[in-house]
Amino acid sequence: MSRLTFQDLILRLQNFWAERGCMIETPLDLEVGAGTMHPATFLRVLGPEPWNVGYVQPSRRPADGRYGDNPFRLGKHYQFQIILKPSPLDVQDLYLDSLRAIGLDLAKHDIRFEEDNWESPTLGAWGMGWQILLDGMEITQFTYFQQAGGIDLAPISAEITYGLERLTMFLSRKSSVFDIEWGGGFGYGPVRKQDEYEFSKYYFEVADIDTQWTLLDIYEKEAKHCLEEQLVLPAYDWTLKCSHTFNTLDARGAVSVTERVAVIKRVRDLAVACAHQYLESREKLGFPLMQHG
Amino acid sequence: MAEYFCEILLEEIPAWMLDAARASLTAAVEKLFAELGQFSVTTNATPRRLVLFLENVPGRQADRDEEVKGPPRKAAYDADGNPTPALHGFLKKNNATAADLLDGGDYVRIRRTVAGRAAGEILQQRIPQIVESLRWPKMMRWGAGAHSYIRPLHGIVSSLDGEHLPVEIFGVKSGLTTIGHRILANDPVRVTTYNDYVTKLELASVIVDATRRRHVMAERARVLAAEAGGTPSVDASIWSQWQYLTEYPGVVRGEFRAEYLTIPEEVLVMVMRVHQKQLPIRDAAGKLTNSFLAVLDNDGDEEGNARYGNSFVTNARFADAKFFYETDRKRPLAERREQLSHLEFHAKLGNYLEKTQRITRIARELSGNDPAAVEAAELCKCDLVSEMVKEFTELQGQIGGIYAREEGLPDGVWQAIYDHYLPINVDDALPRTLSGAYVSLADKIDTLAGFFSAGVRPTGSRDPFGLRRAAQGIVQILLNRDKRQVRVGVDRLIDLGLSAYGLGDAIKADLLAFFAERVRTLLEASQYGFAYDEIAAAMEAGWAPSLTDLVDRIQALKAMRDQANFLNILDSAKRIANITAGHDSTHVDAAKLENETERRLNELATMVGAQIDEMIGEREYRRALESFAALAPELEKFFDDVMVMVDDEGVRRNRMSLLRKVGNAVTKIADVTKIVVDRSTFR
Repeated sequence: MSRLTFQDLILRLQNFWAERGCMIETPLDLEVGAGTMHPATFLRVLGPEPWNVGYVQPSRRPADGRYGDNPFRLGKHYQFQIILKPSPLDVQDLYLDSLRAIGLDLAKHDIRFEEDNWESPTLGAWGMGWQILLDGMEITQFTYFQQAGGIDLAPISAEITYGLERLTMFLSRKSSVFDIEWGGGFGYGPVRKQDEYEFSKYYFEVADIDTQWTLLDIYEKEAKHCLEEQLVLPAYDWTLKCSHTFNTLDARGAVSVTERVAVIKRVRDLAVACAHQYLESREKLGFPLMQHG
Repeated sequence: MAEYFCEILLEEIPAWMLDAARASLTAAVEKLFAELGQFSVTTNATPRRLVLFLENVPGRQADRDEEVKGPPRKAAYDADGNPTPALHGFLKKNNATAADLLDGGDYVRIRRTVAGRAAGEILQQRIPQIVESLRWPKMMRWGAGAHSYIRPLHGIVSSLDGEHLPVEIFGVKSGLTTIGHRILANDPVRVTTYNDYVTKLELASVIVDATRRRHVMAERARVLAAEAGGTPSVDASIWSQWQYLTEYPGVVRGEFRAEYLTIPEEVLVMVMRVHQKQLPIRDAAGKLTNSFLAVLDNDGDEEGNARYGNSFVTNARFADAKFFYETDRKRPLAERREQLSHLEFHAKLGNYLEKTQRITRIARELSGNDPAAVEAAELCKCDLVSEMVKEFTELQGQIGGIYAREEGLPDGVWQAIYDHYLPINVDDALPRTLSGAYVSLADKIDTLAGFFSAGVRPTGSRDPFGLRRAAQGIVQILLNRDKRQVRVGVDRLIDLGLSAYGLGDAIKADLLAFFAERVRTLLEASQYGFAYDEIAAAMEAGWAPSLTDLVDRIQALKAMRDQANFLNILDSAKRIANITAGHDSTHVDAAKLENETERRLNELATMVGAQIDEMIGEREYRRALESFAALAPELEKFFDDVMVMVDDEGVRRNRMSLLRKVGNAVTKIADVTKIVVDRSTFR
């Protein structure tokens, strides 16, 4: 098997999609649980403007942390995210070509598209699609976005999300994520293990519950304030802060069942408001990206 | 006779939808019989293809005669009876002459012969409608978002006798070219007839026939398992799932680390079957081995990639499971009970600790203080706060049972915990012990009483809390009569459920009606196979106090209804019911009986009535019905000799009471008048 490193994978995917007309965006500089929450996905899939983008997104999921002890689970992992809007009819073929580009001889592997639909209650978003299995292992989520922020989408975007660690681990035949090589001879374990340990400890044991609840209130208030001022992009930033704070409280075991429903609704209300205001703001600007291509 | 086939090429369709989709496709196509005459319909499917194959299709519709209506007769002829311009116009338009006009009617009419349309023409029109209107459980849009379907549509092959029959679906135009296997032969394939299509696709690594894929997989699975010294552990649903996961029917064997065999078997099997869609392999003694089988959309795994990948994922899953298992085992179930107060059952119905307390109370009453049932009831929900059930929700109950077993609790207790969700589906086993049946009943009636009191009831196809299933499960348990038989009626069970919430009888009638529906449905289902009228007749005489008694009465009716003397029973009962409508008394004043016939009927009614009561007491319903049938000649004589509707009210009422007395002998068994008989069969 190849000695493919974590960064080889990123570089090859970026090059592949750049050659196919994607703009390579940079990761969002805020804590998010998935590449979907980056405004380059959540907001850009709204409305009629075309959009083809690819980017790496560090994805923080406090509850998934395992103090760096579990060879498969991470509190922060890296996704490579592609949005193709509108979804081209040959999107599956493009995807398979991207696997060839990272060095897979597909005839020697088993590739299957198995039903897996996606729904995010906090974003008021859902889509239909597959988990893509490479030799039985899920390496990619593929979703045709149907709704975001409670708004029915047209055109429809195809979202392709590669799990970078899993893919590297599999391609380099490593049985622990901490054994893969990042690049330049640096190992993923030595680079990231401290980070996994400290954040696991923080999210599960140390995060101050009262402070986090207070932050949630503050972030929510600020998001609403921005919405009132018709500043949807800052409002969306604060919404994402709310979402991450909720995840922190949840990992800390501080959210009861009833509260959970209520907090999810608070975040969703903000996300829905952002989606609507974003769409209006783009319309006011005359949907500038309609000129694309 | 013509042959038609079409292939709809899509993106991967969820495997679980395809059997139903093929059935609806067949049903929709069979509606064409009315237009086109009979022909044979075959469907097939792969993950990406829906295939329809029609054989012996009539080349064209039969010609048919048709009446064409013209102007009203009044407008067609003038006062002198001469044709008006309106009539001339009508005839001209239809290429007809006055000789073609039919007689009679308020409008003039002609008959003409309409030539049948060619099959191809009809198919061209109908196939797109049929395909576009197939209803899928979930639909999506793609691209510009104009159409809604299960997955994006890519291509259509449409062939009539090997020639292209152009159709258009969602704006995609058909042709005679499809494509081979996505990876193994991703090239255009040009086809003519269905046979040619199947053969050429096979060369392009696609087996069109799902049944053939299934057989090839089953055989490969058997061989691979035998190589590992075992057999595939198969359940009924596996092949219908596997056959739609691949276009090429490959199977690969993988291994997981033997240390994971210490994880409870139920967890291992569920992870493999449900999460990984894999088949466990068991050895000759039936023990799980650390080998398993997985599907492969490829004809081999030369480099061992699929073997490596599947083993890798399964090991990762089991590593998680082992962690959960070991974490859970650090605290006994009983210690988790208090934690249930933080787990909400339903916003209006409190938390799971409260539910546990109610279940325990009901189980105690129901079982007359059976210690195993009570202890199991107290512990049955504790696994809901275990790591394992949080991860593998489907194993609720089973996990609690396994942990209880490993903590050394008595068999009666752990088995009752393990089984207390059973039965979930109609063909599920019941809890294996009587104690388990008590806990299951207690849990389910608590759920039903609670949700009904909170105003949550199933509507249409929506039943998010599984209330229909819960009621059905109760009915299944109460119908059982082996050593686990619970001798209690729905009636009393509902009372126990309501009193656990401190509720009165306000919603009892609703619950009874809800249960009555489930009883009817279940007794009509194949396992019992009773007819609707038998069930209705017997339920009229009561069902809530005992369901096994209800079944005995239905069985007696079923056995009797085809006997010649059943007509006696039915006619007697109907006559009595008609003549005594609105009269309830069965008290007969012997002094007021005037003639010999009615005195004799009264004596017989007293005697036979007592016998019948005794037989009913012993649940000898068939004999009771036969005794009743024997009264028929006397009753016949009574109707011949005695006038009931006399003017003297005292005498009239007395005679009606006599008839009631006779009739009531069987109303405790059934309202036989509800049985529908086909009298011709008795001749």
